[in-house]
Amino acid sequence: MLDEFEVVSTEGNERVAIDRVGAAVTSLGLPAKRLERLKTAVGEATMNAMEHGSEYRADRPVAIRVLTGDGAVRVQITDLGGARPDAEHEIPDLEAKLEGLQRPRGWGLFLIESMVDELRETSEGSQHTLERGLRLKEADDGDA
Amino acid sequence: MATHEVPAAPVRRRDGVAVIDIGGDVNRSAEASLEAAWLEAVAGEPKAVVLSFAGAGYINSTGIALIVGLLARGRAAGIELRAYGLTPHYREIFEITRLADFMAINPDEDSAVRGAEGSSDV
Repeated sequence: MLDEFEVVSTEGNERVAIDRVGAAVTSLGLPAKRLERLKTAVGEATMNAMEHGSEYRADRPVAIRVLTGDGAVRVQITDLGGARPDAEHEIPDLEAKLEGLQRPRGWGLFLIESMVDELRETSEGSQHTLERGLRLKEADDGDA
Repeated sequence: MATHEVPAAPVRRRDGVAVIDIGGDVNRSAEASLEAAWLEAVAGEPKAVVLSFAGAGYINSTGIALIVGLLARGRAAGIELRAYGLTPHYREIFEITRLADFMAINPDEDSAVRGAEGSSDV
């Protein structure tokens, strides 16, 4: 394990998670493009956990674990919000948003899915965990 | 506790185009400044509105939603939106969200003001 910590569920605190995860993976030498993707995925997942899981309650922190192995880095983000309703998984459609048929928001999960190689969502009781994995190196990493 | 950069979005005018200089983070805290900047920008009936991200920092999904809102308002008013100053990472995000399909992403301010990268789907 590279790091394990908690973030207080307060708006804006996803930046704490981004910075801490970024520091934790420094030794892995991720190409800049993949590091930026990981940071965006961590930020969005932490926001999602703080907002929908912990409802921005300071007494319900979000737990974050950073793991590495098998040529990948994995970040687990756990809140106490339990399973998510399917409504949160609406696929954003920009054209529909511009026509007013979808709300402007709703990009978070889409961005997470777009930024990482693997995404696993589990719920057990009140605990809800989103685990995202990113391979350490890809053939198309031109900025390595 | 995270620290928050104070967002700012002053408006400049060049050759009939309004340029909004987006500074700081583009997240929920930027909503009021972007709203004020948009109203100031369109008050002069510009040929287009250019969003400058050259001074912007962190952009999250809420910030993307704010930009979608500006794009929707631009379309409704028949005002073209263009952008420049995005980092490669945020340019990628503009592409996967398809924002880049609806606003021209230019390499610099001069081309954005000229509309050299082509018109958006207004």
